[in-house]
Amino acid sequence: MDLETYKKSWGNQQVENTSVDIYKMSRSKSSSIVKWIFIIGVLELIFWTSLNFMVPQKYLEFYKDFKVMELIKVSTYVHYVVILVFLVLFYKNYNSISITDNTRRLMNRILSVRKTVKYYVYYNLGGIVLSNAVLIFILLGQPKDLIKAMNADGLNMEANEVITIFIVTSVIMVLVMLTIIWLFYRFTYGRLLKKLNKNYKELDNLENLN
Amino acid sequence: MQKDLESKFLQDFEQNQNIVHKICRIYTTNQDAHNDLFQEVVIQLWKNYSKFRGDSKFSTWMYRVALNTAISLYRKSTRTITTQDIDDFSYKIQSIEYDDTEELQLKALYKAIRQLNDIDKALIFLYLEDKPYKEISETLGITEVNARVKMNRAKDKLKNILNP
Repeated sequence: MDLETYKKSWGNQQVENTSVDIYKMSRSKSSSIVKWIFIIGVLELIFWTSLNFMVPQKYLEFYKDFKVMELIKVSTYVHYVVILVFLVLFYKNYNSISITDNTRRLMNRILSVRKTVKYYVYYNLGGIVLSNAVLIFILLGQPKDLIKAMNADGLNMEANEVITIFIVTSVIMVLVMLTIIWLFYRFTYGRLLKKLNKNYKELDNLENLN
Repeated sequence: MQKDLESKFLQDFEQNQNIVHKICRIYTTNQDAHNDLFQEVVIQLWKNYSKFRGDSKFSTWMYRVALNTAISLYRKSTRTITTQDIDDFSYKIQSIEYDDTEELQLKALYKAIRQLNDIDKALIFLYLEDKPYKEISETLGITEVNARVKMNRAKDKLKNILNP
């Protein structure tokens, strides 16, 4: 049987109209993935931004003796500018999502919102790794001060031991953070965007054929 | 003003709501999910209705919003499904002389379409609705040539499922 026969049956089908209250329904809350991506995105931006504000003053005092305060100050200002840029991008991308766009463009824009947040997280992770690396480098250049600062209680420890503890602690901190973030992504965006990613690839591959 | 818009929307929707039902039927497999998707489509239609300028037909606009919702926005409900499978429902045929061949065909057709991927579902749906390639390519955002190529492949897949 060819498809035309089925098409005829399709055309003859009678779809029963619902008796539900469309008016009431149109005002109910959406549970679309765009809404969830927006909520998670905002929460992530808030989380990463507040993380920077939550660094206790005491932690910074540790570096006072190392003549890096200027560097910390400048990088903090740069950081604020970057946060602002990301916020603007996030808002612009979110705002450009329109359900009345064609399917491919719509999916592209949803993925852009997600990408903005992803880059913001990469930026923060990169920032953590980079600033730690720079600090370790600077601190190692002043070993005497480092040992004094790390071993404030005057315990009987070798210089090498103190430096090793310092490096290992920094590396573990970054690794733990990376794992938490990876798991977070798997459970939020991974689940949320599985279908969308698959469908987008399907349409996008097709366009790249020619 | 708002009241006018509301009543116009309800009127437009009423006349075309079978489009949404058909899309919900091919993209979901049980009544709960069907209702969920239906509701999401209604929300999206109403949310964007004020931006509908009428430069295309309401039904064309509706195809786009409903398909986009099914393909991109809708997330499968995580609720436990307790209702019956949609296959148990009967598909009614509008015809003067009642003939169950068409009804069976329709049932087989829906069952086969549900086995396709989301994009193929959209293509086949638009084909069954007799939409021209220009509209299909504009709705999905692919070129007309690619729409044709992809449509032929989707049709082949569907034929294979229907006539193994």
